[in-house]
Amino acid sequence: MRTRSHSKSPLSWSLFTLLSVILSALVQLSSAGKSASSTGDSVLVILEPAKKAEYSIFLDGLEKKGYTITFRAPKEEHPLLIEDGLPNFSHVILLASDTKSFAKDIGPQSLVQLLSLGTNLVLTLGLKQNLLTSLAPEFSLLLPPPATPLVSFFPERSDSPNVIPIDVSSQFIPNDTFSVLSSQVTGKVWFSGTPFALNPNPLLFPILHAPAESFAADTSDASGLVSDALADASEKGGEGLWAGSSLSVVAGFQTLIGGGTGHGPDAGSGEDKQTRAVWVGGSSLFSDEFAKKQVVEKIIQERGMKVVENPSGNKQAALEIAGWAFQERGVLRIDEVTHHKVNQTGPVEMYTTNDEIVYTTRISSFNPSTKKWERYSGLKDLQLEFTMLDPHVRTALLPVSGKPGTYSTTFRAPDRHGVFKFVISYQRKGFTHLHHTLSVAVVPPRHDGYPRFLSAAWPYYAGAISTSVGFLLFCAIYVAGEAKEEKKNKKE
Amino acid sequence: MKAAFLLFLATAAHAAKLSADSVKYSIISAKGEPSTKSFVPTEKPSSEVVTLSGDQTLKLSLQVVDQATGKGVQPEQAFLRFYDEQSGEEGIQPIRVTSSGKAKFDLSMAKPPASLPPTSTAPLKVTLLLGSSSHSPQKLELFNLHVPASHPAPVHPDEVKFHLLPELAHTFRPDPKLPPRAISALFTGIILVVPWSILLGLWLSVSPQVPRLFSPNILPFTASLGAFEFLLYRYWVDLKLGDVLTYGAFLGVVTVFTGRHALASIADRRLGSQK
Amino acid sequence: MAPKLSTTQSSSGSNKPIQTTSQSPFPSAFSALFKAYTQNTSSRLKFIDAFLVFLMASGILQFVYCILVTNFPFNAFLAGFASTVGQFVLTASLRQQVNPENKLEFKEVSHERAFADFVFGSIILHFFVYNFLG
Repeated sequence: MRTRSHSKSPLSWSLFTLLSVILSALVQLSSAGKSASSTGDSVLVILEPAKKAEYSIFLDGLEKKGYTITFRAPKEEHPLLIEDGLPNFSHVILLASDTKSFAKDIGPQSLVQLLSLGTNLVLTLGLKQNLLTSLAPEFSLLLPPPATPLVSFFPERSDSPNVIPIDVSSQFIPNDTFSVLSSQVTGKVWFSGTPFALNPNPLLFPILHAPAESFAADTSDASGLVSDALADASEKGGEGLWAGSSLSVVAGFQTLIGGGTGHGPDAGSGEDKQTRAVWVGGSSLFSDEFAKKQVVEKIIQERGMKVVENPSGNKQAALEIAGWAFQERGVLRIDEVTHHKVNQTGPVEMYTTNDEIVYTTRISSFNPSTKKWERYSGLKDLQLEFTMLDPHVRTALLPVSGKPGTYSTTFRAPDRHGVFKFVISYQRKGFTHLHHTLSVAVVPPRHDGYPRFLSAAWPYYAGAISTSVGFLLFCAIYVAGEAKEEKKNKKE
Repeated sequence: MKAAFLLFLATAAHAAKLSADSVKYSIISAKGEPSTKSFVPTEKPSSEVVTLSGDQTLKLSLQVVDQATGKGVQPEQAFLRFYDEQSGEEGIQPIRVTSSGKAKFDLSMAKPPASLPPTSTAPLKVTLLLGSSSHSPQKLELFNLHVPASHPAPVHPDEVKFHLLPELAHTFRPDPKLPPRAISALFTGIILVVPWSILLGLWLSVSPQVPRLFSPNILPFTASLGAFEFLLYRYWVDLKLGDVLTYGAFLGVVTVFTGRHALASIADRRLGSQK
Repeated sequence: MAPKLSTTQSSSGSNKPIQTTSQSPFPSAFSALFKAYTQNTSSRLKFIDAFLVFLMASGILQFVYCILVTNFPFNAFLAGFASTVGQFVLTASLRQQVNPENKLEFKEVSHERAFADFVFGSIILHFFVYNFLG
């Protein structure tokens, strides 16, 4: 038996090392992809082959960022979205917004399943009803009736009222750190398609609002009929009228699925399972036509009006919208969590009540331009909770100056014992969610950990010692005197 | 940046602009006569201020006209936009326009329309949006509307988790208060002096004889008992339990031995004397 | 003479003759009993009784301090108070076993055996007392 184990262990050891080398190589390959995405390079574009040329600027832009694009016609059977329970692509763009029927593996359920399997989605809505119109309510989107595109007569322009330039400068900033459309998006963004209202859902946030003057309507009728229809719709109340800047034309959805602990050997992979879906009201936002279309703006001057033609912001906006969906920006992960007693270094298994605890975490953010995870100190509102059923302590985790990506705080353990959890739950719109819990026991002081020799207890100490001394004296006299006394008693 | 700059005149050949004519509003209370005010709204921020209380109704009437001809127009879009600049809440209310361009709108605060956004203390900016495929659109600032504050907009129950949460601090039990040292010292003195004076007094009155205190039979036992008590005292002061048990076991063996010897000698003398 | 008088005394060997049912004025009854005690109790038992009074006084005073001043740290109070109570119980049982009046009751228990038990019990008691004293 001894010889067997001796002969076997070197072999198994070398096998193990070989496997681990291969595994680590694989891990490195997958983490350091060649695209700007933090989760993968492969993109499936679902689009009628005839329309491929209409989106060449956008698709070329994606390829330039390092993505490998596969095309699939809506009714084609291959390549499958999901094979053997695994997604075939890291990202899927559904540009066939006006297609009514799709191949049978492209359906609302498979799209939701893709999200839970780690595939990011860009979904473009059309004016006709299709599978996306039935999927949208699952994402808290409220769509207007079919065939009611977004209409705006403002600003005055020669284009159809259905083709609308949208100002990017006054857009919603989901968190205090970055917005999905960066300052690189210059000029207005052309939009044509259907708007949607957003039901309250913290996972969903608007990326591009509809203009305040716009509304959703079928304007093919005579003007009187249109205005009556709108007034009727609003009298119905509730969801009757789709109008104004509370509508969105592009919205982002960050899933909670997979959460993951992001700690220990699987650090990072937990965040990978969080996926993103972007809903776009019309696929034409990505089109070459809108990318090239100039925006004519009138600027009123002292002597008349100046008409300026600017290029549209569509090209950059399309790439940035897809970029957010593909987890290029706003991607965070927790690399490391440590905690120890103040003035000590090593980790401890348990804390004593009232201990001063130092909690430190390191957070990285994915940088799409270097394609690497970089330590990130930009979070200003990170908080740590120390919970047992309820949070007992909630305190700010502030970046440590001089240590990039490190956030730390010191707090006093509550004077309650039990199993506590360090909890980081950082959920901000536009960012991946950070969630990390770590259990630690807080115990009452050891029997010798209490303060001792307190002045209040002097009488008790004196009492105990005097009993001892009395006992000793008693024994000494008792044993020393007994025989003689006994004798004496007897004599009497 | 490829930008072409072209100069146009203001009166460039464009469709005629829409405009609103004879804009009037009146505020109707349950009692008291309504006062009607007419004004000319412009594209610039309006200085008109309208204040509505909970039981009042605002009646607005206007005519949508072609700015060039002055004729009534029925546009596709005739919207009132209520906008709270502070909260960003917005409400859009389409108004009915007749074919001659006449439009009326009643805003009753007793029964506010669904389009009125949730309001705070800030005024609602009311804008008239006129849009038509046949005319140039027009955006007219009507007035700043003060209405009673409403309930805030409903938010998702999880929404708070997506923002900075209030900090929590644990409230610690206060440290136990120690009585003044003098009092503790006084009681310590009493606890030492009173019982000991009683004990020594009574013992003196009994005056026990200790002839064998230093007898070689007895002394080792007394000493080992003393050692035991000293060990326990040391345990209290600084020794660990393990040490005490080790020393205690050793001392126990010794004490059993000395005890047996001492008690046997006592028993000998006692029984011997009895005989 | 001694056995006869001792029947009036508490059979449990208590050092306080409190079982009197006499209706006579208290001081005279008390002094009579005290007299009987001093005359008829062996000096060995008196020696033990003195120790019992000492323990009682020490315990009562600690209790008074606990009530009047502070019971913090409570473990120390428990240890100090329990040492006096425990020692009292052990000593009282020693007294019972070595009392010649109870000779028949504890026939098989020698005085030495009773004392050894007393010492053993006390050492164990003190161990717990110092353990709890804090």
